[in-house]
Amino acid sequence: MRFSHRYVYLLMIAVVAIPIVCGFSTKPARMISAERMYSVVENVSFAEGDIALVWLDFGPNTIAENGAQAEVLLEHLFRRRIPVLLLSQYPLSEGLLKTIPVKVANKLKLEMPEQEWKYGESWINGGYKPGSGNYIQSLVASSDISAFLGRDVLGMPIVHYPAFAKVTGVEKIKLVGEITGLTGVFDTIIQFFQKKGYRPTFVHGCTSITIPEAYIFLDSKQLHGLLEGIAGAAWYGELLQRSFPQSSHKDLLLTNTALGAAQIAIILLIVAGNVVSLYSWSKRRRD
Amino acid sequence: MSQAELISIVIGGIGTIAIFSFLIKENYFYRIFEHMFIGVAAGIGPILVLRDFLWPQIIEPMLGHTIIAYPDGTFSAEYQPLYLLYVFPMILGMLYYSMYSRKHAWLSKIAIGVSLGASGALAIRGFFAEVIPQIASSFKPILVWRDGMFQGVESVNNLLFVAILFLVLNYFFFTLGRRDSVQSRTASWGRPLLMVCFGAFFGSTVMARLALLVERVQFISRDWITAIAEIARGSL
Repeated sequence: MRFSHRYVYLLMIAVVAIPIVCGFSTKPARMISAERMYSVVENVSFAEGDIALVWLDFGPNTIAENGAQAEVLLEHLFRRRIPVLLLSQYPLSEGLLKTIPVKVANKLKLEMPEQEWKYGESWINGGYKPGSGNYIQSLVASSDISAFLGRDVLGMPIVHYPAFAKVTGVEKIKLVGEITGLTGVFDTIIQFFQKKGYRPTFVHGCTSITIPEAYIFLDSKQLHGLLEGIAGAAWYGELLQRSFPQSSHKDLLLTNTALGAAQIAIILLIVAGNVVSLYSWSKRRRD
Repeated sequence: MSQAELISIVIGGIGTIAIFSFLIKENYFYRIFEHMFIGVAAGIGPILVLRDFLWPQIIEPMLGHTIIAYPDGTFSAEYQPLYLLYVFPMILGMLYYSMYSRKHAWLSKIAIGVSLGASGALAIRGFFAEVIPQIASSFKPILVWRDGMFQGVESVNNLLFVAILFLVLNYFFFTLGRRDSVQSRTASWGRPLLMVCFGAFFGSTVMARLALLVERVQFISRDWITAIAEIARGSL
């Protein structure tokens, strides 16, 4: 029996579009590793002058998963009023380094109009940094991180921003977040973002493809928290909503529901395909 | 929504439809946008290296442009002549381009040699920092006791972990090569375990691709349609 693959594509688009267009969402499934990450981010102690460093190493090709993860992580850090330094090792993330923190800050501003999350106070964008392991090694070895980084993407010296002026040694970076779908990028951070007497808390947001790779680091306790694809981000959003009831992650829940619907459709297609194949085989045998 | 945002959303939507048109069949519309994406992706790298790294971190400090001259004739900092040392790695890096000259191609081998040496040393350091904790974490107790209580689920998990690790490692052990040995017979058990692993990889790959589809459907059904409606209302 011949069946055009175009019908399958059409079916998948329809299955995905229905929850999005109808605005139908379900509660996300509980993700233990996302819970661990939430607890880690919530409990890391930050003194004055300490910051979090978040690498956004993804582009449009994995924005579906990594974008949502970056948003929930930044939202949590912004809510805790922890200054965030954003950097990237991936050129195509250049635009996202600008838009994602602004989107999160605007969302929080809508929720709490009396408060502000401003560039230079809540976050700064250090931009794209080439050199991978070499660069990270130099950054960690530097005795003055603000001076080493020099200027942000706006051309302002980082020491001009009060929240970041006191960042001297790497010890001031208490939490390192890596959001990426690229293989080998997170390994580089684990390998080189440490030195004798210093090992920050590592959290990681990965795509569904890189979950098996990331899980090894979680199992060996080199990684302290992990967001597994959209499902991880959705559960993290749920945890944020429990702590901050006014917080809303409607889009994230819609994405997670649409993904779930697509997965059910694929499972049904696999079962239907096998049943039809088995039926044809038994019919041929009978004939 | 600003005009720039409107234009970028409309172009983004047309690009998405162009790329998805490949699902019907190969066509020029798809090809044009595929080449555009490759061109943009290739072009953005060198620009960012220059703008975000080479200029602010290497060239500006070397030229002393980071020092501010105050109206009273004093300066924010003294010039550091050590920045001039950047010239040497720059010259070394430039030697890569000598490979385009037959006469001077040998010079590029100096740069390649230095790069290989440095990368090798970094890789060794990185390997130990990454893999040693993972090897240590694979030494799991098969019988787990905590506070005098036997932990059944954890013990079964650890037993499975150790058994699978052993069988898969054994599958890739080719040194002895004896056909009838216990080693060769148990090695074949590693194959189905690897197949399970590949199946999980395939499943998670499908999930990641579907996530992309979900994001694009969200973009088209909301942002793009809204932008088109705004243009139709005469916002542009």
